[in-house]
Amino acid sequence: MARLFKNPDQLSAYRDRRFLGSQDEFEHALRTSTTVYVGNLSFYTTEEQIYEVFSRTGELKKIIMGLDKNSKTPCGFCFVLFYTREDTEDAVKYISGTILDDRPIRVDFDWGFQEGRQWGRGRSGGQVRDEYRTDYDPDILNCCYGKLVQKELEVRRQLVEYDQPVGMGGVQYPNLGEGGGGNEFRRGKDRHGNGGNRHREGRKRYRDEDAPPADGVKRQDRELKVEKNPRFREKGDSDEEDGGDGGKS
Amino acid sequence: MSASWHSLLVRIGEQCPEYGGLADAEDHVETCFGYLARDLAHSEGEILALLMQCVEELPHKDPLYGALVGLINTEDKELVGKVIKRTHAGIQEALDTDNCNKLRILTRFLTVLMCNSVVSPSSLIEFYEALVSSAATTIDEDGGNPTWQARADFYVFCILASLPWGGIELSERVPEDLERVLNGVEAYLNLRKPVMYSALQVFEKSGSRSEDGDDTEMKPMESDDYLQCLWFSIQALMENSWKVDSVPRPHLSFESRLVHAQTHDFDPVSIPETPAVPENATEIMLDRQRQEAERTYPRRNMHLRIFPLSKTDEKITPIDRFVVEEYLLDVLFYLNGCRKECAAYMVGLPVPFRYEYIMAETVFSQLLLPPKPPFRLIYYTVVMVDLCKALPGAFPAVVAGAVRALFQRVAEMDVECRTRLVQWLSHHLSNFQFVWPWEEWAHILELPKWAPERVFAKEVLEKEVRLAYWEKIKDSIASTPKLIKLLPPKNTPVFVYAPDNNTSAPEAEVALATELTSLVRGKKTVREIQVWIDEQILPTQGQQASIQIVAQTLLYIGSKSFTHTITVLEKYCQIFRKIAPDMGTQIAMIDTVSQLWRNSAQMTAIVIDRMMGYRMVSNLAIVAWVFSPQNVQQFHTSDQVWEILRNAINKTNNRTVDLRKEISAAEKVLKLAAAGTVKAHSKWEAAVAALNAAEAKSEDSRNSLSAKVDWAKTVADKAQDEETSAQDSLESKGALLDRALREQEALFLAVYQSFADLLTDRLSKPLPEPQEVSNSLEDAEGEGADVEAPVAMEADEENDEDGTKQRNQKRTTSADPQEEEQWRKCTLGYLRAISRQYCDEVWLLMEKLDSTVFTDKVHPLVTSTTYAGLRRSL
Repeated sequence: MARLFKNPDQLSAYRDRRFLGSQDEFEHALRTSTTVYVGNLSFYTTEEQIYEVFSRTGELKKIIMGLDKNSKTPCGFCFVLFYTREDTEDAVKYISGTILDDRPIRVDFDWGFQEGRQWGRGRSGGQVRDEYRTDYDPDILNCCYGKLVQKELEVRRQLVEYDQPVGMGGVQYPNLGEGGGGNEFRRGKDRHGNGGNRHREGRKRYRDEDAPPADGVKRQDRELKVEKNPRFREKGDSDEEDGGDGGKS
Repeated sequence: MSASWHSLLVRIGEQCPEYGGLADAEDHVETCFGYLARDLAHSEGEILALLMQCVEELPHKDPLYGALVGLINTEDKELVGKVIKRTHAGIQEALDTDNCNKLRILTRFLTVLMCNSVVSPSSLIEFYEALVSSAATTIDEDGGNPTWQARADFYVFCILASLPWGGIELSERVPEDLERVLNGVEAYLNLRKPVMYSALQVFEKSGSRSEDGDDTEMKPMESDDYLQCLWFSIQALMENSWKVDSVPRPHLSFESRLVHAQTHDFDPVSIPETPAVPENATEIMLDRQRQEAERTYPRRNMHLRIFPLSKTDEKITPIDRFVVEEYLLDVLFYLNGCRKECAAYMVGLPVPFRYEYIMAETVFSQLLLPPKPPFRLIYYTVVMVDLCKALPGAFPAVVAGAVRALFQRVAEMDVECRTRLVQWLSHHLSNFQFVWPWEEWAHILELPKWAPERVFAKEVLEKEVRLAYWEKIKDSIASTPKLIKLLPPKNTPVFVYAPDNNTSAPEAEVALATELTSLVRGKKTVREIQVWIDEQILPTQGQQASIQIVAQTLLYIGSKSFTHTITVLEKYCQIFRKIAPDMGTQIAMIDTVSQLWRNSAQMTAIVIDRMMGYRMVSNLAIVAWVFSPQNVQQFHTSDQVWEILRNAINKTNNRTVDLRKEISAAEKVLKLAAAGTVKAHSKWEAAVAALNAAEAKSEDSRNSLSAKVDWAKTVADKAQDEETSAQDSLESKGALLDRALREQEALFLAVYQSFADLLTDRLSKPLPEPQEVSNSLEDAEGEGADVEAPVAMEADEENDEDGTKQRNQKRTTSADPQEEEQWRKCTLGYLRAISRQYCDEVWLLMEKLDSTVFTDKVHPLVTSTTYAGLRRSL
């Protein structure tokens, strides 16, 4: 449908430099992937909000938050993994450009999450694109330092901390150190809930199921972070790209 | 220059840079014709293909494309012959593959071609007559198959729906023939059974607009039956000498040139036979066939009137309304996914009157269309947002008006449509800073908490909180602070074993939970924790309490986020499975989840959903929990448990769908592997033969041949292995599918049995005496969260809830007859909606359901409601 105005070959304007294969392989990966990259998120947007929006195009398998590699807090992007290609395509088709937490979010096909891609690639730890912003929108500046965000920070929203807590133990991610058991847990993600080895041929489907090293139930005082990590990003769905922001380049 | 004819063809009739200063569509046709004439020699194939694509996908511009073809016909008859050939092939294909939209659009295009003197009127009439006669045969009791009336209706619809585009010309050129066709249509309409959509309506009873003066005149138009409805419009059109404002007639400007061109004949098409009536068909088989026909030829839209007629229909003729709806529905269908173009075409239709209200009604009627909208709900959300942005001065107010009008009638609204409206409105508002004049709805606080208006507003706010956060939504209702009562509580987990909390939990349990927490934090292995649970918790606490301690503690540790939760579930999967191995214990586990997440409907639903995914709880346990007494009391006040039930049904169905797909992929793999084995074996045999034939030759060549044999054998063995493993994989998938189908069957049997038992019990009791009304009002006061003192309030609420629960359990029905009535209506509504939504799956189990569930013991309303949802005759 709608072939008149869509170039079906144009899957994504971005080429991730971390992708090691050829352009053809990259395109094939995009064409068959059930993962989307979500950009321009607020740092305060939670996984549950993302779940609520993205489950409107189909059952979700997983959400992987993009994290600032220094502070281990969300830095404005994430990966969402679906079960079927159809649901993935609908997410790109419909959700891209809609508003979440007052920001138009961007949704693109992604070639598939791999361990390590959840970290921002900028020098400061966040996304590269945030380091190159020069066109600060005064609205956002006001919003950032104004009472809105202040309230937001104080009253409700703490950046979810994904750090490995020291001394607190908690949940170990992701290869649960149970030997063969690891496989079963992975299998558990299959919505068929089929354990055991019968599904070995289905491995491909679960290839990217390594969870991010999310952990800990620790909350921190946010004040310091506000100084370091303001919501400086402009409101528009600006696409100017430079180094590679987490997943895309 | 290929780009230039491309964009000229696509953009014809639009205000666009491609056509520079030209404003008139007629000038566009002329200009485009000039360009095409130049390029036809070397790009004929591409031009033809694009033209046909535009005709089909931008059908509101078909009169322009028709005029263009008409002009080409004056110069290049042969090329137009090819257009006709393609149209013919398209129609034949649409007939053969049941492609409704293609058939309808190409019938319209053929009519337009007739107006442009490209196709002879007599061939068009011949095509119409073929459709009518096929329709008449289908509904004939002898020799036909009336269960396929849906297709017959659609054929007749195609004819009538194309008349606005060529009724005048036909009535001028071949008036007798047209009359004959219309007589045929009328005869057909008299013979067919009118279609009743009693279970497929948004509102329970329509026609509550008796205050409108012109009610009587509009009455025929209010008919549910889309074909009957169009027939009335066509009759009015005929009386109005076929004049339609909404259809442009560009061919009139070129008439003097067109008349000199030669018309083409349109070869007869072959209309597919109606599927035969199965021999010795049972009632169920016939109904099933009718249902298949209706699925193949679905209802495209419905008659949803939201606004007063003065805003929509009064200033235009019924046929103009029909044409505008056709335009809008086509744009929605063909430009799905092209957001910019979709909105631009919807607001820029070639009609000489304003139609924002009709546009809103059309989008809402698609969004609310039972049994399900043509596209995902979120598509309509996006369209509505884009239309608000495209017409910022006009459309937002229209949408707000629609919401107000729908809210007024929310009490009569189908429960599933209400859920969709909630989903849409909350998402829509989240795209517009959650701005809504809540003060207008403040009066609902005076209503009891089960009142549909109140439930609706509460659900909207709950969904809004999911999309944003509590404080933000609280701010959005700041104009009416008392509405805070309707807000859900803040979505924090309620951990009953928190050590510093002076909870009511027994000290021993708190101590165990605290120790379990420290074991987890101390990174003990799953095995160690399992052993500890087996030794320390189970023997002292018993299974029920153990489930609560273990599940609460582990899930609380993972309560930080969705990912944290699924990580806990994955890591401690064995523990969860072992502690709740059967139905009863799994119900207790689900209960524990709902206690921990009682402040978050979303997390409750997510955790239960994931647990089912990991097979920690079965779908049957979920059904049993949903129908447990404390949840039954919420059936009419919240969508929460229904959401959980829907998730369980969807997940069960998805498993079968996925496995079917996987099996068909595995079959392909097996076929390839088998072919590979055959090939490898024949190579091996050839190599052996070559070796045998080479007995006499030198040792060297024998050696090399023997090496070849070895190699061929290795390859053949490997191929054999691959085939075997493909075979195994297919078999194991087959076994999984069998299991999934058994689970699906068990699920639906359980769902219907639960509905039947519950409703039969409640419906056979008399309504309670209307005396304790004040109680439910009291309850209403206690619901929701309080800003001033959230913690204290929470405690109050708990008490209140518990109190309610106790009271409810004691009396099993509500005290208030009105509330009891609403409960019955709502529960029956969900029964109908579930039957409607999953009718494909349910139909497969019909015989089984009839013999086990729908027996004489079941209240007749339960059976009739289910049958109505399934569109099954009683």
